[in-house]
Amino acid sequence: MESSKDLGDEELVTLCQQGQGHYFDVLVRRYMEKAFHIAYDFTRNKETAKDLSQDAFLRAYANIKRFDGRSSFYTWFYRIVVNLCLDHARRSGRVFWESLDKAPEEPGGQRQLVDTQHQPDQEAIAGEASRRANATLESMPNKQRTAFLLRNQEGLPIADIAKVMKTTEGTVRVYLHRAVATLRQSLVEFV
Amino acid sequence: MENRIKPLEDACKNYEEDLVLYHYAETDASERAAIEQHLAQCLRCRNFVEDLGRVLPQMSLKPELPQAFWDNYFRETVAKLDDQAARQNWWQRWLAPMNSWLVPTFGTVAIAVFAIALMIQKGDFNATSETASGQIPAEVLVDSNQLEFFKSMEILESLSTLEEQDSAKPERKTSYIENGPVQVVA
Repeated sequence: MESSKDLGDEELVTLCQQGQGHYFDVLVRRYMEKAFHIAYDFTRNKETAKDLSQDAFLRAYANIKRFDGRSSFYTWFYRIVVNLCLDHARRSGRVFWESLDKAPEEPGGQRQLVDTQHQPDQEAIAGEASRRANATLESMPNKQRTAFLLRNQEGLPIADIAKVMKTTEGTVRVYLHRAVATLRQSLVEFV
Repeated sequence: MENRIKPLEDACKNYEEDLVLYHYAETDASERAAIEQHLAQCLRCRNFVEDLGRVLPQMSLKPELPQAFWDNYFRETVAKLDDQAARQNWWQRWLAPMNSWLVPTFGTVAIAVFAIALMIQKGDFNATSETASGQIPAEVLVDSNQLEFFKSMEILESLSTLEEQDSAKPERKTSYIENGPVQVVA
C-alpha cells in the first residue's frame, strides 16, 4: 500500500477536499521549511516568520476546497505565504530597520556579502555590506523584492514565480533584473 | 578575496538583463550561446557576471535551525490546524439544523428591516416638513412682520374709524343713577 508520504500534492489535496483533513499534515511536513524560509526572507525575524508561515498553512487548509488545481499546490500555497508577508510588512510599516543594526539571531541569519576568511579587517566591510543589502531589499518595491527573494533565496524558476505573482514570465524577468541592478548598485563599493 | 573600492563598470546595457537571467540559468540554449559569445569578448560583462556569482549566492544563506525547531514547528502547526478544524466543526454543527430555514428566515428579516427602514424614512419626511415650517426664511419673516404691521395698522384705522363714528354718533352713556345700569341709546 502506498504511504501517504509518497502521495503527490494534488492527490493529498483531493483527499483533504474529500474530508480527510489529516492528509494535510503531510503537506505541512513537506512545505514547512520552504514556507518558513520565505517568511524569514521577508521579515528577517524567526518568530514572525514562524507565525506567518503557520498562519499560511491555516489559511490554505481553511480554503482547500477553493483550490481548483489549475496551478500546482505549491505555487498556490507560496502565494498565500507571500501575501501574508506583504500584508504583514504593510501593517507594520516595514519597520525592520532596527533589526538591521542588531547582531544576527543565529549563525547564518545575516547575509555576509564579503568573504572575511582571509582578511579580518574586512569584517566591518562585510557587516556594512550586509546592512546595506538588507536595507536595499527592504526599500525595494514589493514586486521586485518578491521576484528577487523567490528566485534568489528560494530558487523558484521564473515560470513558477510568475504563477505565484499572477503575472507573466516577462514581467518577472524585468522585476528580477531591476532588483539585481538595484542591489548591485547599492553594493558597488563592496563587490 | 579582492575588495574593489572603485566603482564598478556596468555591463553593456543591451546585455544586462540577459546576464542576470544567465546567472540564474533562466536562458534557453540559443540565448546562452549568444551570451557566452559576447562574454568571450567583453571584459565589463564578464566582471558583471562574476560579481553576480559572488554576491547573490551569499544573500541566499539560510538560518541553520536544529531538528528540534522543526519538530516543534510541525507539532504546533498541526495543533493549530486541529483547533481550527474543531472551531469550524462547532459552527457547522450549530448551523446544520438551520440550513433548511436559514434562507427564508433571513429573507423575512431582510423584508422586515426594509419595511421598518421605509417607515422610519417616512417619519423623517414628516419631521423634515415640520422642521422646514419652523425654519422660516428671512424674506418670509419680513413679509409676515409686514403683515402683522399692516394688521395693526388696520386695527388702528378701525379704531380711528370707530372713534370718528363714535364722535358722530350720540354718546353711549351708561347711567348708574338710581335704577342701576341702563344703556341709553339716543
